Amino acid sequence: MADPDFESFPVALKGNRYEDFAVGDTFDHHWGRTLTDGDNAIFSTAMCNWNPMHLNAEYARAHGHRDVVLNPMLVLCTVLGLSVEDLSESGGPFLGMEDVSFHLPVHPGDTLTAASEVIETRTSESRPKVGIVTWHTEARNQDGDLVLDYRRTNLVAKRSVSSQRGAL
Amino acid sequence: MTDQRSALAALTGDGNYFEDFTAGQRMCHARAATIDEVENNFITKQVMNTAQAHWNEEIMRGSPFGEGRLVFGLITGSMTVGLTSQDTAENALAELGLDKIRFRKPVHHGDTITAYTEVLETTESTDRDDAGVVRFKHWGRNQHGEVVCEMERIVLVKKREVWAPARRDGDGPA
Repeated sequence: MADPDFESFPVALKGNRYEDFAVGDTFDHHWGRTLTDGDNAIFSTAMCNWNPMHLNAEYARAHGHRDVVLNPMLVLCTVLGLSVEDLSESGGPFLGMEDVSFHLPVHPGDTLTAASEVIETRTSESRPKVGIVTWHTEARNQDGDLVLDYRRTNLVAKRSVSSQRGAL
Repeated sequence: MTDQRSALAALTGDGNYFEDFTAGQRMCHARAATIDEVENNFITKQVMNTAQAHWNEEIMRGSPFGEGRLVFGLITGSMTVGLTSQDTAENALAELGLDKIRFRKPVHHGDTITAYTEVLETTESTDRDDAGVVRFKHWGRNQHGEVVCEMERIVLVKKREVWAPARRDGDGPA
């Protein structure tokens, strides 16, 4: 039996485009993530961050924590990761972040969820295929406590740019 | 308490307590690191980043940002922080925040990051007297000497006089 014409299969596209963002729009991001001791050990060692607060449980306990403190950069990367499909998957460079605040320590077994609000949209005269969007993102733990918030700005592809690679 | 603090202090280095940082102080951190399969391809997926530009080699062929998988900016940023961490936060109580993060050049697999730091400011903590707040500026540079990322970082750092008093008298562990 012949294979079907794979080129005719429609791509199940992911992500939003510049035109989908209006100031004040909010997104409750998908999935959530329980961060484990294993996540933290892999991330911290891969990133050359061998701090005993992140990798020595007895040391962390002696400072009043119930277990190691998860590397805040792991927390930041994961929260941003959870927001990518809604906010920036359609492609465009990640320009920067402002006012990243770590409000509470996160420990192994804690579960994070993320939500964002659009705070600014603008177009770029020099780059007609993209717009510039700024979001405010918050992450909460399983008790609803705010653990992290920040503002992030990206270039975001417009609808006229149709490939999955977007503006890249 | 003093015994416990001496035991804790023996696990970390000296020279990086709050009292050791002064505005304007600069450091090139001794170890650089190459970003490759583990650091970008794996960790980017571990942290749930669904943008395949970071982990699909084929889709990035012919990209205007350079051939091949583009390293997720926060991987470059996390590596830069990691490379600074022994010198800036080995005696930290907490990471408080980051600001003015900028990704200035694309990074690809095989690129090597070297981290640089300048101390911007040291201030007393408003809510505890055993630690102070240090504001650092960090830069990450690639093997061509180009700055690929920069940021400010705010860390709550232990005071030696409280956490390692033996070392003040020169009789602490080496």
